[in-house]
Amino acid sequence: MSRRVAIFLAGLLYCPAALLGSDAGINEARAKYHYQMFCQGCHTPDGAGANAVPPLKDFMGYFLRSQRGREFMVRVPGSATSKLDDAELAEVLNWSIDNFAGSSLSPDGYAPYTAAEVGELRTRPLQEIENHRAAVLAEIAAIDQQGAES
Amino acid sequence: MMSFIDRLLEKRARSAAQHASRRGLLKTLGGALVGASAVPLLPVARADGHGGPAHPQEQGSDTDCDYWRYCAIDGFLCSCCGGSANTCPPGTEMSPVTWIGTCHNPADGRNYVISYNDCCGKSSCGACLCQRDEGDRPPYRPDKTNDINWCLGTSSASYHCSTAVVVGVAFEE
Repeated sequence: MSRRVAIFLAGLLYCPAALLGSDAGINEARAKYHYQMFCQGCHTPDGAGANAVPPLKDFMGYFLRSQRGREFMVRVPGSATSKLDDAELAEVLNWSIDNFAGSSLSPDGYAPYTAAEVGELRTRPLQEIENHRAAVLAEIAAIDQQGAES
Repeated sequence: MMSFIDRLLEKRARSAAQHASRRGLLKTLGGALVGASAVPLLPVARADGHGGPAHPQEQGSDTDCDYWRYCAIDGFLCSCCGGSANTCPPGTEMSPVTWIGTCHNPADGRNYVISYNDCCGKSSCGACLCQRDEGDRPPYRPDKTNDINWCLGTSSASYHCSTAVVVGVAFEE
């Protein structure tokens, strides 16, 4: 193999997605199917939501800016009590972030959810959601403001 | 004077005949026809906003309760109410919030993801009541039950009829 070919192949293997934290282990067909079966009915096909159903589109990434926000997306009943197992739930969460978070995601990317992390968090499903969500978003807004001032 | 006009017209006519191809009109018209026929092939967005497989192989009638897509339906068939299995009747609004299940398509042997979007904004259609309930779950599994009114994301909560839209192919492990 010539040196040029070797350099070209090495370049192909250097995938920026890995730096951005995208989960290379996602099975696209399986994750999309699970989104359709367990999320899409309320969150709609493009994640925009409807009326009282909150949007995933251009919004999910905000929750990843704080630990409580990160935990929130697993502890909401639709995630925590779904019939998906831990690995499947982690996969569909990561797939949804990759497909819907858009501009809300930090340019630095995110650390993908793992089955172990999801498995621990879903043992503590949220009982009261609206106030908890508002508190989490207020906390993230404060973090953003601190970042802007510093 | 008349001879001058005759000469002028003759000169212009001969000039036009020498410079314009006799097949030019056919060529232009032919090009326009071929171009027009290519327009529908261009990759523009289609009305099917769900992004699923647009044309699974079909078998049976969508006005028949035994139609394959209705395996878990509970309601009036929109195809008997002025709509279709994919569309709402005029004057009603499709609920964006819905419940979703899978049905087996006997025509190609595959399982498809079906979205049972309700059409809302008018009183019950009353035609073609169809209740099959395959895979239906009790209301404590709200995302998998057909026992609630799914007119949730619409301006009116009045239920009229139900569709069964194919949104994808089921994932087989």
